[in-house]
Amino acid sequence: MRLFLAALALLVATTPAGAQWVDRKTPDIPRKADGTPNLTAAAPRAPNGKPDFTGVWNSEPPASRPAAANLQPWVNDLVRQRQQEYFKTRPAYQCLPSGPEAEKFGGWKRILQTPTAIAILSDDLTYRVIHMDGRTLEANPAPNWMGYSVGRWEGDTLVVDSNGFNEKTWASRYGVSHTEALQVTERYRRSDLGHLQVEVTFTDPRVFVKPWSVSLEMELVADTEMLEAICEKSSDEWAGGLSDAANQAVSVPSDVLAKYVGVYSGLYQGNRRTVEVTLSGGELIATLVSDEALKGAAPPAVPRTLVPQSQTLFEGVGLGYQFIVDDKGVATAVVEIHVSGPYKYARQR
Amino acid sequence: MRLFLAALTLVVTTTPALAQWIDRKTPNIPRTADGKPNLTAPAPRGADGKPDLNGVWNGEAPQARPEVAELQPWVMDLARKHQQDYYKARPAYLCRPSGPEAEKFGGWKRILQTPTAIAILNDDLTYRVIHMDGRTLEANPAPNWAGYSVGRWEGDTLVVDSNGFNDKTWASRYGVVHTEALRVTERYRRSDFGHLQYEVTYTDPKAYTKPWSFKSDMRLGADTEMLEAICEKSSDEWAGTLSDASGTGVTVSPEKLKGYVGVYRGIYSGKERTYEVSLSGNALIAKILGDDVEGGLGAAGLDDGAPRPLMALSDTVFEGLGLGYQFIVDDKGVATHMIVVHISGPYKYARVK
Repeated sequence: MRLFLAALALLVATTPAGAQWVDRKTPDIPRKADGTPNLTAAAPRAPNGKPDFTGVWNSEPPASRPAAANLQPWVNDLVRQRQQEYFKTRPAYQCLPSGPEAEKFGGWKRILQTPTAIAILSDDLTYRVIHMDGRTLEANPAPNWMGYSVGRWEGDTLVVDSNGFNEKTWASRYGVSHTEALQVTERYRRSDLGHLQVEVTFTDPRVFVKPWSVSLEMELVADTEMLEAICEKSSDEWAGGLSDAANQAVSVPSDVLAKYVGVYSGLYQGNRRTVEVTLSGGELIATLVSDEALKGAAPPAVPRTLVPQSQTLFEGVGLGYQFIVDDKGVATAVVEIHVSGPYKYARQR
Repeated sequence: MRLFLAALTLVVTTTPALAQWIDRKTPNIPRTADGKPNLTAPAPRGADGKPDLNGVWNGEAPQARPEVAELQPWVMDLARKHQQDYYKARPAYLCRPSGPEAEKFGGWKRILQTPTAIAILNDDLTYRVIHMDGRTLEANPAPNWAGYSVGRWEGDTLVVDSNGFNDKTWASRYGVVHTEALRVTERYRRSDFGHLQYEVTYTDPKAYTKPWSFKSDMRLGADTEMLEAICEKSSDEWAGTLSDASGTGVTVSPEKLKGYVGVYRGIYSGKERTYEVSLSGNALIAKILGDDVEGGLGAAGLDDGAPRPLMALSDTVFEGLGLGYQFIVDDKGVATHMIVVHISGPYKYARVK
């Protein structure tokens, strides 16, 4: 229960309030006849002729679950252990920098580009710098959180090589570590005004059997601003593991639970997610049923036993499930509470 | 004692390791005949003719202490309370962004300047953005940690106006808070290649009786790199307050304490600092001599009269207002040096009399 409350606290702290200036018009960008930004106009270029990535960008986090077969055995062991702990040592949950974590290549970014350096600013108020002054990577850099990055142009593609990461960050939110030997290569291509294709390759033979890649496409966000999303409550305060949740369970009668059985569907981080809730042996079980959602599920995508914390509130493997009921106690929707926020799914049947 | 250990832990985690690339030569900068960066060469200009502030900069943390008379009574009361708590609610000690805190205008910075925006990157991995695309401040912005900043050029001076700060950050490390009504105005002028002068003014009638400001300067960090200094251990783990410390001391005999009485001199944050250690009753008292403004976690804060007795943690280790004091003794138990342990690191002072 305390974990659940901690997640709610995080939720409150990281959901930015609406602000007036999100409606601000971005000056000097190509627009269509109706005044909306023309995202398919030609990509702009800097005075030196190179593509100019300056601006505010956003994307979904990339799908970033490496295949178990591509992970060294000790990494798979660690992944399983971290899943049992609700991934609570994920750097972002501890209010620490995410470093090269695959998911953080997506989300809100502001890019500032000068001829000698590119800064990529994230909405969690951390940043990284890509040196563009012709220097090469250090053979033996001091490990740090954001690594040491040098970039070069291959035609219109920006190629960034990075090393010098400490091993306190993860390669994937699914508990996948990396070592200080990690090398990351990124390729950025702005195909038009509104679109930036990104491919990220992680090379770390001590962790990955062979190099592992994720890709994503960012979209230019015109006429608005990037807002802060600051982590203030470290997961240090989260208590318990999977086995502890049961100890704090309350008892809910089976006839009440039966009113929650059904299929619920809604949007989770831009993708449709369908959850089937069943009753088995006096316990509610939640199972993801859509292929689309499975791509983003924690490994392995097993059914979640829902442990009641109240008549309508349940905990399921680190997620909260709040059933919305009508005046007869029959569920009309379920709200799935992630660290990233609440997601409401309407009952389909 | 636990506080002291927490401070030592912080020292270990926030002192960046040396790295090879700090010796890297910065390309394309003016140099003197001996190959050193020519810091007095003219300041560079961007393609738009405006001064170009791009680069790595470093400056002493400004010691900005508003006058007591400039603070509303509730702000002064809170500053005293923060002092009693060793300033452990300071955002930086909680591993949170420092926002507009005066001291954070100093330290290591990297500036990236484009025609439409300037980013100021800090070594704690936080940053702020100054919008240069001609927009004006919002009348009612959503409060956040870094505020909302717009800049304009007045001749060769960059003038930055900011509002939209949340009230979770401080204006000064001395426990001086601000409200969401805070307005900050900065003026930056790059007088030559190597030097950047700035002035910061705080206006917040709910917290201050009149605007207060400070001036400082930064020096170009050529031929080196800014290294990360990340807060990993929140002061949540710190225990105790000033009033607790007096109850946790061990007893050291007056003879031993007498061996530590004297004057110690060393360098703190680039400036010479002199401590006088005296004995009052059975308690050692540490006092900074001269007009050096006291800084750091153990500073006297805005209350100059606050007592600063050293509480014994062992025969040679003492705690005073959240700082650690370790005496190095010879074979007769007479101190030859004193090491003062700040959050920023240990500083060694040689005994001079």
